[in-house]
Amino acid sequence: MENDLKKLKEEAQELLGKITDKVDAEEFRVRFLGRKGRFTQVMRSLGEVATEDRPRFGQLANQIKKEIEEGFEKHIAKLLQPSTSQADRPDLSLPGRIPPRGALHPVTQIMNETCEIFESLGFSVAEGPDVEQDYYNFEALNIPPHHPARDMHDTFYISDSTLLRTHTSPMQARVMEASEPPIRIIAPGKVYRNDSDITHTPMFHQVEGLLVDKGISFADLKGVLTIFTQKMFKKDLPLRFRPSFFPFTEPSAEVDIACVMCGGAGCRVCKKTGWLEILGAGMVDPAVFAKVGYDPKEYSGFAFGLGIERIAMLKYGIDDIRLYYENDQRFLSQFI
Amino acid sequence: MKFTRNWLKQYVDFGEMPDSELAEHLTMLGLEVDSVTPLFEDLAVLKTGTVVICDKHPDADKLHVCSVRIGEDTYQIVCGAPNVRIGLKVVAALPGAVLPGNFKIGKSKIRGVASAGMLCSERELGISNTHDGIMELPEETVDGARFVDVMEMNDTCIEVDLTPNRPDCTAVIGVAREVGSVIGKKVVLPVSGAAITSETKQFDVVIKEPALCPRYTARLIENVKIGPSPWWLRRLLLSVDLRPINNIVDITNFVMLEYGQPLHAFDFDSLADNKIIVRTPTSEEKKFTTLDGSEHILEDDTLMICDAEKPVAIAGVMGGKNSEITENCTRVLLESACFNPVSIRKTARKQKLPTDASYRFERGVDPKGTVNALNRAVELICELAGGGTAADEGIDRFPGQQAPLAIPLSVSHSNTLLGLKLTAEEIVKLLESIEISCTIENDDQINTIIPSFRIDLEREADLIEEIARLYGYDNIPITLPSISMSFPEQDKNRLQRLFISKELTTIGWSEAINYSFIGTSKVTQLGIRESDPRSNPVRLLSPLSEELAVLRTTLLPGLLDNVRRNINFQRPAIKLFELGKVFFPKGEDEQPDENMHLAGILSGNRYGDLVSPLYYKAENVDFYDIRGAVEFVLQALRLPFSSEENGLHFQAPEPGEPFFQEGQTLELCLDKKCLGFIGKIDAEVLRNYSIKNEVFYFDLDYDTLCRVENTDKQFSSLPVYPAVRRDISLVVSVDISAGEILKAVQSNTDKLIEDVEIFDVFTGNRIPQGFKSISLRITYRSATKTLTEKNVEKAHAKVLKMLTDRFGGSLRDA
Repeated sequence: MENDLKKLKEEAQELLGKITDKVDAEEFRVRFLGRKGRFTQVMRSLGEVATEDRPRFGQLANQIKKEIEEGFEKHIAKLLQPSTSQADRPDLSLPGRIPPRGALHPVTQIMNETCEIFESLGFSVAEGPDVEQDYYNFEALNIPPHHPARDMHDTFYISDSTLLRTHTSPMQARVMEASEPPIRIIAPGKVYRNDSDITHTPMFHQVEGLLVDKGISFADLKGVLTIFTQKMFKKDLPLRFRPSFFPFTEPSAEVDIACVMCGGAGCRVCKKTGWLEILGAGMVDPAVFAKVGYDPKEYSGFAFGLGIERIAMLKYGIDDIRLYYENDQRFLSQFI
Repeated sequence: MKFTRNWLKQYVDFGEMPDSELAEHLTMLGLEVDSVTPLFEDLAVLKTGTVVICDKHPDADKLHVCSVRIGEDTYQIVCGAPNVRIGLKVVAALPGAVLPGNFKIGKSKIRGVASAGMLCSERELGISNTHDGIMELPEETVDGARFVDVMEMNDTCIEVDLTPNRPDCTAVIGVAREVGSVIGKKVVLPVSGAAITSETKQFDVVIKEPALCPRYTARLIENVKIGPSPWWLRRLLLSVDLRPINNIVDITNFVMLEYGQPLHAFDFDSLADNKIIVRTPTSEEKKFTTLDGSEHILEDDTLMICDAEKPVAIAGVMGGKNSEITENCTRVLLESACFNPVSIRKTARKQKLPTDASYRFERGVDPKGTVNALNRAVELICELAGGGTAADEGIDRFPGQQAPLAIPLSVSHSNTLLGLKLTAEEIVKLLESIEISCTIENDDQINTIIPSFRIDLEREADLIEEIARLYGYDNIPITLPSISMSFPEQDKNRLQRLFISKELTTIGWSEAINYSFIGTSKVTQLGIRESDPRSNPVRLLSPLSEELAVLRTTLLPGLLDNVRRNINFQRPAIKLFELGKVFFPKGEDEQPDENMHLAGILSGNRYGDLVSPLYYKAENVDFYDIRGAVEFVLQALRLPFSSEENGLHFQAPEPGEPFFQEGQTLELCLDKKCLGFIGKIDAEVLRNYSIKNEVFYFDLDYDTLCRVENTDKQFSSLPVYPAVRRDISLVVSVDISAGEILKAVQSNTDKLIEDVEIFDVFTGNRIPQGFKSISLRITYRSATKTLTEKNVEKAHAKVLKMLTDRFGGSLRDA
C-alpha cells in the first residue's frame, strides 16, 4: 500500500512535468484526480488494509493527493498565464478612461459655498418667491412709494402691487413676521433689475442674511462678515467697511475686499482704488423692526446682502457677466 | 455729484493734501469717490505766444502767415482767423499736441507755405463754442507760458456717487463740511450780498399749496445785461461737464452746485401782473411747453409756478418757454424755493424730465437755505451781469417754518449698538464736527439740535450712524455675536435640489441657468395651443424688450437657445439640465404660482465632447438616453418606479406635447396625474432655432414629484441558494412592444421567477419582414432549496407557452 502510493506520486510528478497544453492537463486531471482516477482507486482499496493501519495510510494518501493537486494547480497556472509579449502590454502613457462628467453652474457653486459657510455659523436657509409684493420688497423695508431710494432699484412691475423682487431682502420682513428672535437666517435666490448692459444682467443672484437678538452690535456684523469673506476668498485678505445707505439698515455699510486682481495696487478692475465692493450690510433699521412688531429697544440685529455673480467673478476671474446666462459648455465645463 | 479740488478748497482749506488722500477721506465718510480725473490734461502741452509778424498769404486771401514768439523760439504758423494781428497774445498748438476730439497737430504746408502748428479758437480748445476767431489772451500774458497755468486750469475733477440720504452733499459746501470734520476745520461760507430786509412792492408771491411749497423766496434784479460769463465761472462749469450758456443761467447753475439750492430765473417782463402764484393747474391748463421746447400734459396735482394768468414753470423741475431768459432780457426775477419732495419726484417721473433741480428737490433741500443761496446769486448777478440794481428788497413766503429738530441721544444705546465704549464727551466732539449742537444732559443722555441742512437726521438711529461714520467704521472693533446655541433647521427642498443636481453632474450633465423671462412668441413657436395655460404667461409691465417680456411657463425655450449656441460654438454634444421656476398667473394683482421644474436637453454624442475618443465611441444619443436620465433621477430620489398603472409609470400620451415628434414621447404619470414628459423634439420646432441635430428633452414637475412618497432604504436577506438563468429569444410581430412581453413575464405568479430582463432587440438579418426578435433573460431562484434542472424546466416551459400563446411568436435558438 505504502509503495503503491509512493509509486503513484512519482508517476504523477513525472507526468506533471510533461504537461504542455490544456489537453495534456485535462488528461492528467482525469487520470489522477478525477472521479474514476487513480487516487480514487487507491482510496477505495483502503478497505483492504488492516484496520489499525487505515488511519496512517488514509492520512498519507490524502497528503500525497494534496501535494499532487497543488503541484497541478501551480503548473496549470503557469501554463494559462497570458503571454507577455511587448504588444500585449498596456501603453502606460495613454490617458486613463475617465467617465464623462458635468459641472454645476458656477453661480450654484458659489451660492452653495456661501450657504455652507453661514450654515456652519448656525444660520438656517429660507427661500422666498421671485414675484414679490411691493410691500415686502419696499414698504416693509422702509422704502415708501416715491422714495428716491427706489431709484436704486430699477423694478420690473407685474401689476400695481406685485413685482419681480429687486433684492432678496424681502425675506427679512417675511421671516421676522413669522418668528420671534433669536433669528439667524440666510435667503438665497434670483433677483431682477430692469437694467441690462455690459456690467448688468436683468436677472442675477443674491444671498440675504439676517441676525437678530439682544445686544447685537455693529462690531458683531464686522466679525461675521470678516469670517465669511476670509472663508470665501482667503485668510488675511484685507477688508474694509465704509459708510453707505440702505433704507432698511442704519448704520449701513458697504464691504470692500482688497482687489483680487492686483492685490490692492490699483488696476482696471478695481478702478485704480485697490478695493472691490462685494456686499452691502448694516444694522436693521428701527423702522423695519416697527413694521414687524419687534421692539428696537429690546432687540438689535444686522442684515447683509451679497451678489453671487460678483463673488464668482472675483473668485474665478470671470470677466464678462453675460457668460453666466449663455450656458456655453466651454464656459460651464471650466467649473467641473 | 461732480466738483473740483480747487472749488472745494474755497470753502475748506485742506492744504496740499494729495488727491488720493482726499478721495480716501470722502469714501470713508460715505461719499464714495467714483473717479478722480485731472482736468484739461490734453491742453497741458499748449503754450502762450505773441504774434510778431502777420503777413498776407501769397496764394490765399483769407490766410495769414504769422511768426509767433513762444518764449525763446519763434515759429511760422499759417492762420486763417480774421482777428489775427501783430501783438495778439495767442494759444499755440505745436506739432505733437492733440486737441479735444482727437485732433492731432503736425507740421504741414498750407497752400505751399510751411506751418509749424496752429493758433487755436476756444472751440478748438473745447472750452466754448466760439469759433469766429482765435482765442485772444489778455495783453499782459507772458509768451512761452503754459496755457493751463495762465488760465488757472490746473485742477482735478472729483465725482462722488451720492446715496439718497445725503441731499446736503449735492452741494460743494456740503462736501466741504464733511472734509472739515476730518481735518478739524469749519467751512468758510462765501460772502453774500445784502439780505432781504423789506418786502418789495414791485411784485407779489402767493402760495396756494403750502403743503407742496413750504417756502418761496424771490428777488427782482433790474438793468441786467445778458452776456457770457467770466472765464472763472465758465471754467468751473466746464470742469463739471456743464455747458456755459449766459451769465444769468450760469450763475443759477453755479449757486445750485455751491449751495445745493436750485434757483430759477424768470424774465420778469414776461410775467403778467407782476405776480407769482404757486398752485396746481386749472382744468383748462392741460398743456405746457418747457424751455427745452418739449410739450407736457399736466396732471391735476402737478405743482406749477404761475403768473397772474398762466403757468410759467413746472415747479422744481423746469421753467417754461414763455418766461425764459433771452438775450434782450433786462429784468430778472430770481426764485429760490423749497418744494415737497414726493410731489416733485412724481412730476419729474411722470413728465420724464429728470433735471439737476428735480434731483435735489426730490431728495429734499434745506428750507432755511433758500435765502442764503438767493442772496449769493443776486450778489453774483450784480457783479457779473452788468450793474443790476437789486435793492435790499424781496419776498419771502415761509408757510412751512418749523422749529429746529431736537433729538435726545442715549450714550449707552449708541455704544451697545456699535460695540463701542465712547464717553459722552467723545460723542459730542464727533457730532459737533458736523455742526450738530450738543449739550450733555447726564452721563447717558446728550441733547442734540440738528442743523437745518441735515434734513436726513430725524431719529436717534440717524445720530448713531453719524457717530459710527465720524468715528470711522474701520476703528470699530471686530467681535462675534454671542447667541445661545441652536440647531438650525435646513431647507430640505433646497438640499434635495442640490443633491439631484450633483447626481446629474456625476453622469455627465451640466447645469444651465436661463433668464426667468422669455419672449412673447416663444411658447407659440413650440406649437402650444392658445388654450394651454402655458400660453397665458405673466407679463412684465415694462419689459426690457419683447424677447424678455413674459415670465417663462416652460424651461424648453431657454434650453433650446443653449443647444443652438453650443452647436454654433462647436460643442454639439449637449447634456444640459436646468432646475428652475416656471410661473403661472393667479388672480389680478396677485403673486403668480411659482413651480419648480427639472428639465434636461440632450443632443449629439452620448459621452460628450470631453471624453477620450480612444475609449468612447462617437455614438449619438437616442430616446433611451432621455428615458434613462429620468429613470436615473427617480432612482436617485428613491421614487418607486413601476410598470403598473397605479404607481409611477411611463405611458404613451394622448395627445402628446406638440413640440415632440409623434410616437416618440412618453408621459411620466402617477395614477392619472402627469408629472412630466420625455420625447424627441419635433424637427419643425428645431427649425425655428436653426438646429439640425436630433434633440431629446425631459421636463419634470419637480415640486409635485418631490411630494411623491419615496421608499425607505430597507434591507432584505441575501439569497442562500443559487439562481438559474434561462434565455429566450422570441420572434414576434413588430407591433408587439417589448414592454408588453416584459410585463407578461413580470406578472406571472410563479414564485420561482426572480427577475426578467430584455437583453437584445433586433430586426432584419434572418428575421422575416414585419417581425422582430426580442431576447429575454429570466432568473429563477428558490428561497428554500437549490433548484434542480427539473424544477427550472417545468417553470420555464410554462413561461414559454404563455409567451407563445399570448404573442403568437416563435422561439429562436438563444
